[in-house]
Amino acid sequence: MGYNRCPVERTVFFSGNEAIAHGAVRAGAGFACGYPGTPSTEILETAARLGGIHAEWCINEKVALETAVGASLAGVRSIVTMKHVGLNVAADPFMTLSLTGVNAGLVVVSADDPGMHSSQNEQDNRNYARFAKIPMLEPSDSQEAYDFLAEAFALSEEFDTPVLLRTTTRVSHGRGRVVPRVPVPLEPREYARDISKYVMVPQYARVRNRLVLERLQALRRRSERSPLNVLEAGTADLGIIASGVAYTYAREAFPKAWSLKLGMSNPLPYAKIARLYEQVSRVAVVEELDPFIEEQVRALGLPVIGKEAIPADGELDQDVVFRALEPFVTLRAPRRRRPVFPPAPHITAPLEPPAGLPVRPPVLCPGCTHRSVYIAMRRHKLAPMGDIGCYTLGALPPLLALDSCLCMGSSIGMMAGFNKALGRKGAAAVIGDSTFFHSGITALIDAYYNEAPGLVMVLDNRTTAMTGHQGHPGTGVRPDRTQGPAVDVQRLCEGIGVRCATVDANDYGALDAAIRAEVDAPGLGVIVALAPCVLTTRERAGEIVVDEERCNLCGLCIDIGCPAIAPGETAVEITDACTGCALCVEVCRRGALVCTGIEDGA
Amino acid sequence: MSVTTTVSLVGVGGQGILLAAAILAETAAAEGLDVKASEVKGMAQRGGSVLSTVRFGSKVWSPVARHADLVVATEALEGRRALAMLTPRGTLVCAVTTRIVPGSVLRREDEYPDDLAAAAAAGGVRLLAVDAEGLAREAGTLRAVNVALLGAASTALPFTQESWRRGLAAAVPAKILEVNERAFALGRESVGEEDEK
Repeated sequence: MGYNRCPVERTVFFSGNEAIAHGAVRAGAGFACGYPGTPSTEILETAARLGGIHAEWCINEKVALETAVGASLAGVRSIVTMKHVGLNVAADPFMTLSLTGVNAGLVVVSADDPGMHSSQNEQDNRNYARFAKIPMLEPSDSQEAYDFLAEAFALSEEFDTPVLLRTTTRVSHGRGRVVPRVPVPLEPREYARDISKYVMVPQYARVRNRLVLERLQALRRRSERSPLNVLEAGTADLGIIASGVAYTYAREAFPKAWSLKLGMSNPLPYAKIARLYEQVSRVAVVEELDPFIEEQVRALGLPVIGKEAIPADGELDQDVVFRALEPFVTLRAPRRRRPVFPPAPHITAPLEPPAGLPVRPPVLCPGCTHRSVYIAMRRHKLAPMGDIGCYTLGALPPLLALDSCLCMGSSIGMMAGFNKALGRKGAAAVIGDSTFFHSGITALIDAYYNEAPGLVMVLDNRTTAMTGHQGHPGTGVRPDRTQGPAVDVQRLCEGIGVRCATVDANDYGALDAAIRAEVDAPGLGVIVALAPCVLTTRERAGEIVVDEERCNLCGLCIDIGCPAIAPGETAVEITDACTGCALCVEVCRRGALVCTGIEDGA
Repeated sequence: MSVTTTVSLVGVGGQGILLAAAILAETAAAEGLDVKASEVKGMAQRGGSVLSTVRFGSKVWSPVARHADLVVATEALEGRRALAMLTPRGTLVCAVTTRIVPGSVLRREDEYPDDLAAAAAAGGVRLLAVDAEGLAREAGTLRAVNVALLGAASTALPFTQESWRRGLAAAVPAKILEVNERAFALGRESVGEEDEK
């Protein structure tokens, strides 16, 4: 028969999911993780069978994404897989990852399930790409699934962004011929600390957010010239815009139509869409689920056949598409219109502080034991993955004590991914007690299960301090300040199987010794640095006396960032704000600071 | 002053800016005026700059404003910073003897500004320089710097003594009301006749 054939030995027969795994390895990905969910599951299962890539199941999609971010930071191209509803679980790190960007390329695979073959809803995750302002690729068959991985990783690194690779059941589970390609050569991407890029406290996030808006404009220009977005000539007076598997249905239903095939479907290439309208008088958007492309085309002022014809729910196929569009394509063509491209958005200029005036960022309080933890940790050269709470303030000058802050509970997963990718204890995690209960526990269980080495510091100040001292499961305190049952962090860790020690964070020597011991220990360990928030106790532990003869104003005590220490004319001065925590005594190398107990009458 | 009057209260986290704003808002409400107030308070206890805005008039729409007719500053650097938000011929009521030195100045990366009076004059701003710390100490607690300053500011606001009394009673916890009433009265008295216009 008159088929076109190609040499058999050059091709393999892959499901879309197998093709994604092979394509990731071919693109140099070294780290894959995810949570199983139909139709995404076989990507990771395939990766686990392949050489050259580490694959692990995570406890959930949020921890999986945080783990992949850690691996990306460590310099390894990473892929994280989940089904559509899984991205809801991972939405917290996902949304802010758009701001921080990546180090080595990072691809998030969302496998959607139109028709709900095995899902509780059929949400259209293309909306997540627009929501997060990141690029999205949609393969339509196994070959594209294989090929698009290289493009996805390249885009991720070039534009410093995570990339969403969105499939649907028929792409993930459909099988087809794949021509393997030569591996992509990689440049090494060493980890470089960059606090203003990776620590998303408000003053840095505002800057990153403006970069995201500018990046989206640059990505749209890329989308216009991307070879993944192809205008294919036809002979009929009908144009079809489609992405993913819907493109294959449209091509089969209307073989003579013009088509704009969108492999990169976010951001959309407006000018390419306009060029299709120059060729034909009728254009239809063929897409499953939401009018994602259609609404954006309509916003250009262009007439389009969309969801009034194409079902807005369930799966399509070529028969559905043909029956849906046939009555419309015989109607009189609409009047031609010129597209109106939306102008680039106005981006708020950064607020300039009045010239010459020192800024006053929030700081750790005098006597706050978070400061002691940071001072004890800093000699050990572990990249401290941070989290969200008062202790995030330690990332600011002069302490510069945290390398990252992505979202609530992200520190432990990022540490695990970082250390797994490096193959050693290169990072530590710093997390508060309330944040640990919020979503650190799952990541700790995951790190134990996946045998990630690392040091987890739980800064337990017995409250949710930053928001105003609310209760949490570790304190048992209710909103009306009555006492309920409380969970013990150390017993919880030990119940998981993780080595855990609790130290009094007011005892600097004990804290320092515990951290030293845990840094040198193999595997995973937790240190609970326990001391009630100084704002809740308001206890004065002692009085600091300055020996003005010995003080040479070297600045070591100033550099711990305590608001109660000020340089005087000949020696440092201790202000009324001092709580007597004596951390400054620990860092002074000249014995110029002495702590006297309150009861000594000093 | 425009139809809607904007008062901004600035200071350092922990100085009681939010309480002062609450007293002012309650006082305006006691006058039968419409009031809106807003602040960003996530960092209020961590020694960062704090800004609270109170707007009053017969009808107030927006809860925020970039410019203020009157600024109450519980710290000298924050008062200097707030000059940029004052409208022409606006008034700055500033605790000039209260200096809370930020970390960058402690580390000698920055200098604490000493040009408040000159900068206010250059900007056409009326400056009420108040020794709020001294007044608060006299009243009985250093923590009443905010309310002593509000007492000084009250001379520049169109509210009756009775409304201020009701505003204080509504916003200040009962056990510290008396000391705050004293601080307010001392602040109000501290503004001499020659200062009033």
